[in-house]
Amino acid sequence: MIQLSLYKKLQANHGEMILDIDIQIQSGRLVAIYGESGAGKTSILRMLAGLFHPEKGKIIVNNQTWLDCSEAINLKPQKRKIGYVFQDLALFPNMSVRENLLFALDKGQKSDIVDELISIMELHKLETRSPDTLSGGQRQRVALARALVKQPDLLLLDEPLSAIDHQMRSKLQDYILEVHKKFQLTTILVSHDITEVFKLSDHIIVLENGRIQKQGSPSEVFSGKNMSGKFQFTGDILSIEKEEVVHIVSVLIGNNIVKVIVTEEEANDLSVGNKVIVASKAFNPIIRRIG
Amino acid sequence: MNILKGEITEIESQGNLSLVKIQVGQTVLKSIVIETPATSNYLTRGNPVNVLFKETEVVIGKDINGHISLQNQLLCTINAIEKGKLLSKLTLEYNSEKIISIITTGAVDQLSLQKGDTVMAMVKTNEIMLST
Repeated sequence: MIQLSLYKKLQANHGEMILDIDIQIQSGRLVAIYGESGAGKTSILRMLAGLFHPEKGKIIVNNQTWLDCSEAINLKPQKRKIGYVFQDLALFPNMSVRENLLFALDKGQKSDIVDELISIMELHKLETRSPDTLSGGQRQRVALARALVKQPDLLLLDEPLSAIDHQMRSKLQDYILEVHKKFQLTTILVSHDITEVFKLSDHIIVLENGRIQKQGSPSEVFSGKNMSGKFQFTGDILSIEKEEVVHIVSVLIGNNIVKVIVTEEEANDLSVGNKVIVASKAFNPIIRRIG
Repeated sequence: MNILKGEITEIESQGNLSLVKIQVGQTVLKSIVIETPATSNYLTRGNPVNVLFKETEVVIGKDINGHISLQNQLLCTINAIEKGKLLSKLTLEYNSEKIISIITTGAVDQLSLQKGDTVMAMVKTNEIMLST
């Protein structure tokens, strides 16, 4: 469990803004902080990492107090078990990929974890290369691996994929999900990309002008909660085919593909890969016993 | 999805179900939902709601007389008909709002529907979703 209460006056683009939040995050969750730029998202991550100090507040991670302004407790950044990936995280240019990972090891820490990460993140072919020769997507893959070398309790991702093209981004999202589960991390993702937030997170905190505007599961936060359809799922569009005056949209929901008829106007607003809510009234589906 | 804006005028609940009446233009529409004012804040008299229903669930009637169980009846004008081999799309106007109905081309022919016709668009109570 991570308990976080932070208060600080910030200088935002439009003047002074007060960041005032109180959040509890269960261990093992992947939580997204979603909001416009300047809402205070990055400030929260930097305070968690110990790079920025609130005026008032407390950070307790798995019963360990990292920060308590009233008790003058403030753990140094290197004492906080955190992995941090930024949008433009700089790797050391004079070191190979492997050396970049080895450099992140703590004193006395075994290097097995480096091999494991190279394997999970499929960096074999890149390990001897220098960062300058890598694509943006490959660099972020290395940055993610490097953030995990110290085996942190908490992984902080600050718009890690925003500079990467769509296809590569989707792959990297899969890597994030994989390491999140594999290392049983608690991950906090800052993003303003709804599709990304939907794909990755199980809980969303919407931040507006330094305050929590709402929070909940992705479908609760993005429209689902306020729609009376009780037969409701989120999925990804696999294909859209025109059929006379209608379109047939195939949607992957979990491991099942369902088909939904939509009109031309609706189809124009949809494309393959979009995250969607499929909803119907509870009155429509039929149930048959099969076992 | 057809979307009409309305205002809740009445809520009748029994157990987990509520029958909600919504004023849309001159007409009162009804929706049955598995929610009650106790579980869902938006179910409050006077609240604005969107009334949602699928194009394929809009039944079309012409010169209807006698009794019919469909509770939601909107008197519309046909603005356009787009015919496919099996299915056709009717673009209707109700209270200067657009409603789309998708019915079989056979039904369009059987009713000899034409642009400009006045028809009754009907939707079952359990096909109407509400959103805020």
